[in-house]
Amino acid sequence: MKRGLWLLFLLAWLAAPLLGIVPPFWISLANTIGIATVVVLGLVVLTGVGGMTSFGQASLMGFGAYTTALLNTSLHLSPWIALPASIAASVAAALTLGAVTLRLSSQYLALATLAWSVSLFYLAGNLDLTGRYDGIPAIPAVSLFNINLAAPEKFFVVIWVSVALAMLATANLLDSRVGRAMRALRGGAIAAASCGAPPAQAKLLAFLYAAALAGWAGWLYAHLQRAVNPTPFSFAASTEYLLMAVLGGAGHIGGALLGAAIFTLLNDRLQSFLPLLIPTPGNFELVAFGCLMLVLLQTAPEGLWPHLFRPRPQPRPIDETLALPRRNIPPPGTLLLESIALTRRFGGLVAVDALSFSACAGEIVGVIGPNGAGKSTIFNLLTGVDQPSAGQIKFRSEEITGSNAAAIAELGIARSFQHVQLVAGMSVIENVCLGAHLRGHAGPLRALLQLDCAEEAALFAEAMRQLDRVGLRQHADRPAGSLALGQQRIVEIARALCLDPVMLLLDEPAAGLRHNEKEQLATLLRQLRAEGLGVLLVEHDMDFVMQLADRLVVMNFGAKLTEGAPESVGRNPQVIEAYLGTAA
Amino acid sequence: MKFHIALGALIALAAATVAKADTIKVGITVSQTGPAASLGIPQRNSVALLPTEIAGQKIEYIVLDDATDATKAVANTRKLIDEDNVDVIIGPSITPAALAMVDVVGEKKVPLIVLAASARIIEPPTGAKAWVFKTPQNDSLMADAVAARMAQDGVKSIAFIGFNDSYGDGWLTEITRALAAKNIALLDTERYARTDTSVTGQVLKAISAKPDAILIAGAGSPAALPAKALVERGYKGRVYQTHGVANADFLRVGGKDVEGEILPAGPVLVADQLPANNEVKPVAQKYVSQYEAKYGAGSMATFGAHLYDAGLLLTAAIPEALKKAKPGTAEFRSALRDAMEHQTGVVMTQGVANLSPADHNGFDARARVMVTVRDGKWLLLP
Amino acid sequence: MDASILLILVQDGLVNGAIYALLALSLVLVFTVTRVLFIPQGELVAFAALTYSTLAEGHVPASIFLLAGLGATACLRGLWDARATRNKYGKILFGTLGPPAVVVPLTLWLAPRHPGLAVSALLAVATVAPMAPALYRIAFAPLASASILTLLIAAVSVRFAMVGIGLVIFGPEGTRGIGFSDAFFTVGPLTIPGQAIWIWIVTFALMLALAIFFGRTLIGRALRATAINRLGAQLVGIPAEGAGRLAFTLAGAIGAISGVLVAPLTTIYYDTGFLIGLKGFVAAIAGGLVGYPAAVIAALAVGIVESVSSFWASAYKEVIVFTAVLPVLLVRSLLGPPSEHDE
Repeated sequence: MKRGLWLLFLLAWLAAPLLGIVPPFWISLANTIGIATVVVLGLVVLTGVGGMTSFGQASLMGFGAYTTALLNTSLHLSPWIALPASIAASVAAALTLGAVTLRLSSQYLALATLAWSVSLFYLAGNLDLTGRYDGIPAIPAVSLFNINLAAPEKFFVVIWVSVALAMLATANLLDSRVGRAMRALRGGAIAAASCGAPPAQAKLLAFLYAAALAGWAGWLYAHLQRAVNPTPFSFAASTEYLLMAVLGGAGHIGGALLGAAIFTLLNDRLQSFLPLLIPTPGNFELVAFGCLMLVLLQTAPEGLWPHLFRPRPQPRPIDETLALPRRNIPPPGTLLLESIALTRRFGGLVAVDALSFSACAGEIVGVIGPNGAGKSTIFNLLTGVDQPSAGQIKFRSEEITGSNAAAIAELGIARSFQHVQLVAGMSVIENVCLGAHLRGHAGPLRALLQLDCAEEAALFAEAMRQLDRVGLRQHADRPAGSLALGQQRIVEIARALCLDPVMLLLDEPAAGLRHNEKEQLATLLRQLRAEGLGVLLVEHDMDFVMQLADRLVVMNFGAKLTEGAPESVGRNPQVIEAYLGTAA
Repeated sequence: MKFHIALGALIALAAATVAKADTIKVGITVSQTGPAASLGIPQRNSVALLPTEIAGQKIEYIVLDDATDATKAVANTRKLIDEDNVDVIIGPSITPAALAMVDVVGEKKVPLIVLAASARIIEPPTGAKAWVFKTPQNDSLMADAVAARMAQDGVKSIAFIGFNDSYGDGWLTEITRALAAKNIALLDTERYARTDTSVTGQVLKAISAKPDAILIAGAGSPAALPAKALVERGYKGRVYQTHGVANADFLRVGGKDVEGEILPAGPVLVADQLPANNEVKPVAQKYVSQYEAKYGAGSMATFGAHLYDAGLLLTAAIPEALKKAKPGTAEFRSALRDAMEHQTGVVMTQGVANLSPADHNGFDARARVMVTVRDGKWLLLP
Repeated sequence: MDASILLILVQDGLVNGAIYALLALSLVLVFTVTRVLFIPQGELVAFAALTYSTLAEGHVPASIFLLAGLGATACLRGLWDARATRNKYGKILFGTLGPPAVVVPLTLWLAPRHPGLAVSALLAVATVAPMAPALYRIAFAPLASASILTLLIAAVSVRFAMVGIGLVIFGPEGTRGIGFSDAFFTVGPLTIPGQAIWIWIVTFALMLALAIFFGRTLIGRALRATAINRLGAQLVGIPAEGAGRLAFTLAGAIGAISGVLVAPLTTIYYDTGFLIGLKGFVAAIAGGLVGYPAAVIAALAVGIVESVSSFWASAYKEVIVFTAVLPVLLVRSLLGPPSEHDE
């Protein structure tokens, strides 16, 4: 129904210029806005969602524009054949750049894109191939079924169909298995890795997707202007696209359109109205423009789209009859996880000191110890988030030392985090669904074309089941950030369960829970144990651990103090001393 | 949906402003900001000196800034044509923007008078370029003049230090051709950016090629930087400049270090020194005195004169076009184009133009003089 | 390229490199304290250079009116933000209107009297340096809790406005200042202009002063503490806004001084700030946006690479300078650990 309305609106929008009722210049403006929107949509994914700042979108756009310009003028290929080539050229360029910088933190990516953007500008200006500073003129217009689309009101259709497709594709992409991994880049990157979705992959995908859109926009630009030169692909132009993204609301698809529209319209209208306000010769447009941008940013630091429309997660219908295949759980008592003389040094500090212990299927092992005993470091070592300085980790008797987080997740080891790692802006159920990442297979292409519906439905059904199990069903569609901290910890458990784990590592799951919530959690953990899962539990609440754990590992200063049944450990004088200080 | 309502309102507003056509509308887009602002600002200033009435018809000027950006220049072109329904467009200041605008004016059939130098903009004057005219001298004309002067000065080899942009490119192409004709060797080519803070490397390299002379191709005061660096590095040979430097700021920044440098220029630069029988002299003097009365003594730059010349071309052509059609119509624009194409003997500040279907610039050797810097002033060379 | 030419190029590169280093230092300083990538820093350098040149020629620079305008805007903004508390009015008035109240009449009186180079230099610094804290009050302090990206875009907007104002008040053509020293020193094949030596001395002195400031003084340590942990600093009584203003004041002063230093060496335009700012920015990030020594070394390297490539392949100078960053990043990427903590 809603989709139908949108389609109707789009058709009306596309038809309007052809009816001749819209003044021609507004069609030109709309064309400019449309092309900018396509570029900015890429930035929504890259910067708004992925948290990577790029000063190079315009130069990636340049790859697309120059590719089609060259193919059209030198080889006389049809623009339609050049379109995939344009997109491919931008993506290939991004791949080269991404290989160099994506492993580094985002400020280096920003620098790399900046550097790249400036050097490409001067390169294009000095190469005969690209027509030097004067560029390549006389690029042929696009035609379709022998209709020449040179006129702006006709090319308008091409541009705005592109905008609609790009928006749809972006929405599809973000609302998919790979999309959730991208959205987890800000705030939940480590969690995503522990769910089997490596951040590096998500980053690269976001970067390439943004490049593809830039290439597409470059193609549109070249055939609208029918001349290219280095200026529209300069560093300054890239900065303007970034400005549009932030102005509209980085991270919001609608924000891309809004940002591009406001930027373009403001620029144009200032030129018309400012001379009336300030009659002296002198150019105050840039000054007024900068000041207005500043006012808008201060009014809506998160961008105008969220400021005006306050978007929230949409409830989604879920068919809970769908199920995912489950893995075989080993019989209770099977040795699952072994830590053998595991050591982690940070400079001179030994956080974990030759620690050995094991955990079996159908068993809850508690790890306790005073603050700073190295408990969370252990978790990070065991789940591949951090790597040990020495020692071994085995899972089901196979060595897994040195594996990365995603590989460990694949084995069926799931975890929660001491510092909650949820993506605040995603709904609770989407966060939980991230846990089922490895149980789906749809890649970005299937996501873009929305061929992943059946799989998505099954993933969400699974997520809802796990959410139900932990008792947070009624919060499924709320933004995860709006939940109480204790509840967020429980969401993390649901997410871990979505992995269909063999072994569950929980880092202080009971912290911040009320009494009855703790009881519910205890019941859940017992039930999981009964199902044959191995559970490793770091916890400060002694009562909680004591009533649950089959075995306790007590740590102090990174080393194992003692190990045994809860009752015997509780009586151990060393343990009492560690907790209460020198009692003697 | 607020946005769409706002957009709708704006569209309605725009529709209301589409004007009635009882005056001749002239759209102007020049680079008032950005790297070419030193060209665009005197051009904008010169708009105030253009006639407000030609053959009894009121003329309305609409001035836009393209920020030295071709995309913006094209957007301005469409805005002037579609929103303001102009009869003719003057501008832009730079070649890449002009090349990008050509197709638009060709498609919309609106005559365009370009203020940038490259001959590529108007040649060949067929297709879309049939609608494009140009008042600045072709850069080839200037390059030939410099090369001839070099040959006359006994120069056998030169090094080139030019802007790393379209202006530098244009000069490099033209001077390479002109030098070849005079058998002068081009030993070294160096480039620099307008806002570079140092050209030491370029200057050392150029000197080490041991040329008889060095040609600096830059516009305005930035062209003084290599000249000063050459003096600092002890270069003693001749230095030639291009017509782009022809404003007072070049002399101010260059100071004693640009003494004796030789350049080609439009006659307007030395209007007062022209011989009394030179037909250009009164027109050029009138422009200079009007401009400097308005913007201060010594403020005249030859870039602004190109816009003034566009006004002179229109003054000559509009009466003819008015006989055929009413302003604001396609017929008028077409008639104006035809009229401009047949103007001969138009005396401008920069020369005498004889336009024809084959030549949309129309200048000859009268449109350039050789000038040197003496005592911090321009001096006409015989 | 023989050794003597290489020496000249390195010397030339070190002069530009020193200016980039000062820019990079200010950028790092402002970023670590306020998370703002202060893009308009390059504009401050250009404005100071143009102000100095105008003064040295005996004219009144229009930038004093810009200072007055910024001061007034900052004052209104401050008063508006403090309307609830009402107790800081005096401090705000003094802090925002004080500098223009002194500089504007003084300049108007002194400028036509040809005050000499030293006074011109001081006046230029006094005109441009207070612009930075005023900009902080107007543009960035109200956005203190926004994301780094939003702050970056706010900085870009400020730069738009600054470049626009620069064109209006200084015009499109360039100006070259009068040097402090006309002397040339000959060392082997090198002829070192006195101005270059001035630049090195002042740059070194500024860096030393900064090192002492951050290492030895209470305020300096407080700033460093804010840079390391904003919340922690606030808890022990270092207000983030005060630290931000101080950081901007320092950056403004460093920018203004570099502008005055560079003015006699080259022609400065209203938009010169862009490319030099960009190179300072490259150095700052290549230095990791945290380390001062790293940023300085990176800045000097940028200067030398630039100078040598301007000899070797001048048309591709910027291509070489900016592409040289990529292998540096590649090495960092291969050697360093992957980073997981962004934003």
